[in-house]
Amino acid sequence: MNIVTVQQAQKTYNPDKIPVHALQGVDLTIEQGEFTALVGPSGSGKTTLLNAIGGLDLLTAGKIIINNQDIATFSDSELIEFRKQNIGFVFQAYNLIPVFTAKENVEFVMLLQGKSEQERDTRVRELLTAVGLADQIDRRPSELSGGQQQRVAVARALASKPQFILADEPTANLDSKSTADLLDIMLELNQKENITFLFSTHDQRVIDRARRVVTLEDGKIISDERVS
Amino acid sequence: MILKLAWRNIWRSKLRTFTVMGAIIVGVVALVFYMGFMKGFVRTYVSNAIQNELSHLQIHNPAYPEDQEVQYYLSDVASLTQKIKQQPNVVAYTERTLVEAIALSARGSRGLQLRGIVPEQEAVVTKLNEKITQGVYFSESKYKNPVLISERLAEILKLKVKSKLVVQFQTVEGDIKLQTYKIAGLYKTSNKQFDEQNIFVPQSKIALSQTGEPIVHEIAILLKDADKLVETQTVLQNTVSDSSRYLVETYLEVSPDVALYETQMTASSSIVIFIVMIALIFGIINTMLMAVLERTKEFGMLLAVGMKRKQVFLMIITEAIMMALVATPVAMLVGAALLGYLGSVGIQMAALEQVGISEPIYPTIDWLSFLIIGVSVAFTTFFAALYPARKATKLQPVEALNSL
Repeated sequence: MNIVTVQQAQKTYNPDKIPVHALQGVDLTIEQGEFTALVGPSGSGKTTLLNAIGGLDLLTAGKIIINNQDIATFSDSELIEFRKQNIGFVFQAYNLIPVFTAKENVEFVMLLQGKSEQERDTRVRELLTAVGLADQIDRRPSELSGGQQQRVAVARALASKPQFILADEPTANLDSKSTADLLDIMLELNQKENITFLFSTHDQRVIDRARRVVTLEDGKIISDERVS
Repeated sequence: MILKLAWRNIWRSKLRTFTVMGAIIVGVVALVFYMGFMKGFVRTYVSNAIQNELSHLQIHNPAYPEDQEVQYYLSDVASLTQKIKQQPNVVAYTERTLVEAIALSARGSRGLQLRGIVPEQEAVVTKLNEKITQGVYFSESKYKNPVLISERLAEILKLKVKSKLVVQFQTVEGDIKLQTYKIAGLYKTSNKQFDEQNIFVPQSKIALSQTGEPIVHEIAILLKDADKLVETQTVLQNTVSDSSRYLVETYLEVSPDVALYETQMTASSSIVIFIVMIALIFGIINTMLMAVLERTKEFGMLLAVGMKRKQVFLMIITEAIMMALVATPVAMLVGAALLGYLGSVGIQMAALEQVGISEPIYPTIDWLSFLIIGVSVAFTTFFAALYPARKATKLQPVEALNSL
């Protein structure tokens, strides 16, 4: 089942001055349960495509259809609501709320969704256990390592039970062991719970473990390989 | 959730939070002190004016206030004073003869007002006898023609107790008269200007008329309850009935500068409050804006994961309100303590002698003004946070996330 369909996506920055064509007619479909890596050199359009799929940035032309809905038709507040209910984000710089503990960070989106305390508590413990941080529940980000913070970020992205997770260079700031641990967790969640992951990366260790690798160059898809 | 997040956010940068709270505390304390001082100042000024010179009510010939000529004296004083005595709110009164005069001494001359008084009455109404610093009051003087001049005037005219002083003035008939007095004592009030311009003699020692009958230009009346000022004025004016012969005025009418002073002080207080609030607004906007700009990336993340723009707005406003809620009570306590202390020990300011106040100012403030200051500052903080909060809601997630 297609979750995301990208049709002829075009994105041009500075159209009136010195135009930069970040995406030039990208077509892509993501199916439920995929573990897909968007790869390519810097400036190839990976992050732009990821942001557009996540509704964080608008396309200049083309469509992004998620659950049969063209997200360009959403108002700003509808888009925020849509992201809250359907998309989980993992950022390169973790971007946790520094004044919240690991538990509070993970339950934050559930609070925004209006979930009950009991539901939140069960889900948070389940997720932090899944990412191996059950014993770090009350620690703030500043008390956690980079790898641990990114695992909290993954747990946060999953907390709202989204349709899919978008991860922008999730391992860029991590050492080898943390990268391996994070990938193990993400793959396990992908395989066991059929959670869809779409991430941009430069990291060969990530590319090696992806089950689909989409390569971008100059804003165009130049290859799309599925690994059996 | 917003409350928890806002509360923790304000303690992220303690320095910044304490800067905002410090600004609120300084603002409130400064305003409380300023308003308290001004109120104390006006109260002292008015009270001095009443005690030393004006009293609560004055009765004149209706022509006298316009043109203070010697011939505009009060008629049938005995009957008038009888009616004054019958008023229950009257504590005391004193009759005065007021003449523009020139004091001549061996060292110089000076234009001033010669005040002919009934010593016993004046002692009750203005306590002139208690303001004698050298020599004696009339009741103890053995001189035939005693005069009381101020220390300040004695210094200017190089005179001392027992010196002779010649005073030139015009009689009711228009004749110029020279009268020699001997200085029985020197007085000092808290009003330097008053001291330089007034000398006192017993009323009986001013021969203003060839007939020799006492001439009274003014009756000053002291009241028990000053709050019934206008009420007593009206009753008296109705009692004396003949408004063509007598004009009863309150001290505010006799001396409009006193009323003007109160009005000016209120106006200047409002201006100062406005300026302090504006300074506070800019201080808070600046600090809150810094707080918002420093957290741009975080706001980008919050918007990305589903926090609504109005929730971001509310969070920043809540942060400002929380700071105000912590700082304002502290500020009001400090302000109340400061005013309580200064209100008991007083503030001595030599510079105020120029405006007739030589005693300490005791700052005071009413509860309503005190509360208004606190509430105004809290509201100011709220308004100051609106712009930074609005700025945060205008952020685009993708740009905010990519900010440095």
